[in-house]
Amino acid sequence: MTQELLTANHASALAATLAGRANRSARGFGAGVYPITPQTECIELLCKQDIEKGHVVRVESEHSAMAVCIGFAIGGSRTFTASSSNGLAYMAENVFAAGFYRLPIVMMAVNRTLGPPWNIWVDHGDTLMLRDAGWIQFYCEDNQEVADTILAAYRLGEDARVCLPVMVCQDAFVLSHTIAQTDMPEQALVDKFLPPLDLKHRISLQARTVGGLDGAHENELHRWQQETAMRGTEAVYAEVQTAFEEVFGRKLPDAVVPYRMDDAEFVIVSMGTTHSTVRHVIDAARERGVKVGALRVRLFRPLPVQALETWLEGRTRIAVLDRDLCPGLGGILWSEVRPLAPQGALVQGYVMGLGGGDIRPANIEKVLADLLAREKSERPVLLEVG
Amino acid sequence: MIASPFTDQGLLRDGHLEIRLHGRGGQGGVTCAKILAALFARTGHSVQAFGDYAGERSGAPVRAYMRASDTEVDNRNKIYTPDHLLVLDPTLLGDDIVGGLKTGGTLLINTPDAPEQVALRFPGYRVATVDATAIARRHGIGSRSVVIVNTTLAGAFARAVDLPLDALAATYDSLGLRSNLPAAKEAWTAVRMAEPLAGDVARAGAVAGPPSVIALTDHTVGAPTGLKTGSWRTQAPKYAEHLAPCNAWCPAGNDVVGFVQALAQKGEAAAAAILDATTPLAGVCGRVCPAPCMDGCNRREYDGAVHIRGLERWIADHRPKLTAVPAPAANPKHVAVVGGGPAGLAAAHTLAKLGHKATLFDAETAPGGVLRTGIPGYRLPRDVLDREVEAILGLGVELKANTALSKKDLEELPQRFDGVVLATGLQRLTGLEVPGANLPGIEQGIAFLKRVNSGEPAKLTGHVVVLGGGNTAMDCARSALRAGASRVTVAYRRAREDMPAIAEEVHEAEDEGIVFAFWQAPVGFSGTGRVQGITLAKVEAGPPDESGRRRPVVTSQHELLACDAVLLALGQGRDLSLLPEGWSLETGRISCNGAALPIFAAGDVATGDGTVTHAIGDGRRAAQRLLNALGEAVTIFERPDRSAAVPVTDIRLDHFTRSEPAAPILESATTRAHHSGEVSRGLASLSEAHRCMSCGHCTQCDTCLVYCPEGIIRRKDGSYAVDYSFCKGCGICVSECPRKAMEMSAQ
Repeated sequence: MTQELLTANHASALAATLAGRANRSARGFGAGVYPITPQTECIELLCKQDIEKGHVVRVESEHSAMAVCIGFAIGGSRTFTASSSNGLAYMAENVFAAGFYRLPIVMMAVNRTLGPPWNIWVDHGDTLMLRDAGWIQFYCEDNQEVADTILAAYRLGEDARVCLPVMVCQDAFVLSHTIAQTDMPEQALVDKFLPPLDLKHRISLQARTVGGLDGAHENELHRWQQETAMRGTEAVYAEVQTAFEEVFGRKLPDAVVPYRMDDAEFVIVSMGTTHSTVRHVIDAARERGVKVGALRVRLFRPLPVQALETWLEGRTRIAVLDRDLCPGLGGILWSEVRPLAPQGALVQGYVMGLGGGDIRPANIEKVLADLLAREKSERPVLLEVG
Repeated sequence: MIASPFTDQGLLRDGHLEIRLHGRGGQGGVTCAKILAALFARTGHSVQAFGDYAGERSGAPVRAYMRASDTEVDNRNKIYTPDHLLVLDPTLLGDDIVGGLKTGGTLLINTPDAPEQVALRFPGYRVATVDATAIARRHGIGSRSVVIVNTTLAGAFARAVDLPLDALAATYDSLGLRSNLPAAKEAWTAVRMAEPLAGDVARAGAVAGPPSVIALTDHTVGAPTGLKTGSWRTQAPKYAEHLAPCNAWCPAGNDVVGFVQALAQKGEAAAAAILDATTPLAGVCGRVCPAPCMDGCNRREYDGAVHIRGLERWIADHRPKLTAVPAPAANPKHVAVVGGGPAGLAAAHTLAKLGHKATLFDAETAPGGVLRTGIPGYRLPRDVLDREVEAILGLGVELKANTALSKKDLEELPQRFDGVVLATGLQRLTGLEVPGANLPGIEQGIAFLKRVNSGEPAKLTGHVVVLGGGNTAMDCARSALRAGASRVTVAYRRAREDMPAIAEEVHEAEDEGIVFAFWQAPVGFSGTGRVQGITLAKVEAGPPDESGRRRPVVTSQHELLACDAVLLALGQGRDLSLLPEGWSLETGRISCNGAALPIFAAGDVATGDGTVTHAIGDGRRAAQRLLNALGEAVTIFERPDRSAAVPVTDIRLDHFTRSEPAAPILESATTRAHHSGEVSRGLASLSEAHRCMSCGHCTQCDTCLVYCPEGIIRRKDGSYAVDYSFCKGCGICVSECPRKAMEMSAQ
């Protein structure tokens, strides 16, 4: 392994390249790409790669980028694309198609605030918009995790028991444009980790219809097959984690990442890089004797229901930080975590860091103070971080 | 030896180091942060580097950040309290920039100033200075105007924090920056440091810490940015008129874009008022002008020139009658204008409009010159000419018709008048000196046209051959057809594209059945008692002459063409022998035995340009020159420099919808060739005026206002106002202006 100073965008492109090359003995690699800030650096670097049996197709829109991936994938190729924000919105129809076709496409999504008004910085609303598209979704905390998760995504999504597309999400600029030391593995190791893709339902010389008309009963069965695959994903992911560590010698983080949870009475739940800042506040609070811990929801789809229930068991006060806003509901993470909290626990949602606001320790301290002072919870509140 | 800032702790303070950089877009600040990260990574630290990204442009203030740590960097926040601060551009240096820098921290500035001098402003900090711009420029990093200082300043920083040179060299090698290393090394040596002065760091301006966290219950209202981005500007947009090509091309000096736009926006009366300033003959030019303006029209390069001639005719045909009589000048002059052709009419018009008395002498029964005697009525109906002549006379011009002036009369004019404008036109006709040239049936085309136009007998029969390729040749050929010729052939010694005639005239003639024989020159006529045949020699194209046209070379290949009449339209020249003894003409002014007389020549007799529009411009200029010579302060019209006109490359054609130019409505060729009524009925509407792109002239189209990314252009007093306190000088308004009615200028 070599350690390089890479942005998470470049690390993503290199990870996709390694995965693509690893399929050279099978049906190769294909990517449909279209630029959008802040992921453009990723596809630019991907376009410069020389991938054996690989094609990076530059198209005119995100919708077509995903269409190209669907075409490659259904033909049995390993596929990759990247997008962000309104690009994902435009791509959405085909994102659903990829999910419902059960094609193990991997997409790196840089989380960027949806416009208008225009804003290029991080919040999670764009990929959360696609949470029902039948894609597995990971949210990462650092550059290394982005690269590792892309590699793992192929192993996970291509597993015949799963057979689902995977979205690997990272925070705009905070990771996408920030350089940090990153281990990019040797090709031989990636070859070992990623077996050639053998997609059972790929198109072949045998004529058949793909995605034809579905009757009511077939439809409920097809959709429930998706749900069944999603529910089995966590178990397969555990196997992927083991294999990953065996091959690369480092751990792949859990679906739910705990921090100082052992004796925690209070919990701060978040996603992405917010958790890094939360950890600093937890350390400071622990110094003061406050029994607080944190959870990072890394795997959002499928929602690790049991892991969350287990981690939240016995905690009395739970803060859920949402870097997203679902108008009319509040925070999406809050709405998903709240039913999993133990009975009687106070669960309060905080919407913060929209539009790329720099969530600083002082902001999290404010959350903690509010959480501890509350007599009862209310609907999520906005915490302006500016 | 300069000590490490944290000598007791090594390079990092408590195992962590945070650096913030301030630069301007294009200086490489973010890359500089990444270089520093690579440098610290080489010393075994965990690192992180990133920039503040936004929709910024070159010159905008930019921040970048670098963290190094003995443990893994997991702080994802921006840096509010840096250990060190680098300033790539000294113009950014202020309390807000330095704010948050920890006491004892290094403040490294790219400036030629001494550190001690800067330290006075920033007590409590270790100030380091280096003229990185000068060093980088010496080493040719960046371009001459935009020097990239990041790699140079990184060298100075390495020295300021006591990083060894070899680490620097190894880092630059690994990043492929070896060519920048000498500059970095020079900065490593040249950087100067001052130890911190005692003082209050807070007072030095710890302003830019993290913004205070708003209480959950607080309510804030978004306010417009207080950042006066106008300070980033190095160039500013402004509204400026530029010369439209139609105006530059018009020999009469008409404000073409002005009258076309006035027609489109305000109607015929407003357009006519603009034309009246420069021409009394819009109805004439709207019919017979070769329209150089249309040759210059930028729309020609896009989807076809605007039919300006047709619009000029439209205005003349639809305008209200001119009734105002100009007020007399303070010191009115009395000027004799000799010759009632277009130059003389324009001179009289100019004089009368300025309140001077003009007496117009014309040998014919009515003024108009070649317009009356030469141009056939099917092209220029007499009532149109009469209407415009009447309007000129209505300004107070006195007419002396049927008054041919002898040399003696001319000599006496300076005694009778304050001055004279001589506009006698071209009197000498080009003949042919070939065998048989004097046979009856061979006639000068001008004489033939004069008979036709004056209603004298001019009947022709059989096959008529016209020699020549100009407008007179076309007039002769088409008039011959109308005078009874059964067949007309035009023989011309060059190619079709060399013909001086207006292309539309040639097409109309062809449509009427006239045959053209190109590359043919007459070498003899034959016939018994009357011309019965013409011998034409084949002509070959020789090397180009001074006009750029191929010089005709007559060959010995002859061909006899039977004919019944021949009309010569081979050109005209001025005849200065008509001038009194001792008079000479130089640069448009008459002298008598070396003494300048108050006599200015106008039109073809002066210039020989040969078009109505040239004559109009020249007539006006001669009148103005005369008035100047008589002590009147008058601006003299000079034809604009065509090269100064807005080129089509400055027009944003994408803003204009493609549309075919409108053409005048013509009577059918089969019927029009049998009578002398006007062939063209003009344009069907003034829609052509709306095709004008208004090159160089603002139409208040709002494109600048719409495209301004800052939204700081607004309408004001029929134009626009730019709020320069927020204008960053991005130039988008100027580059998007469809018609080059704006320009950027240096601050």
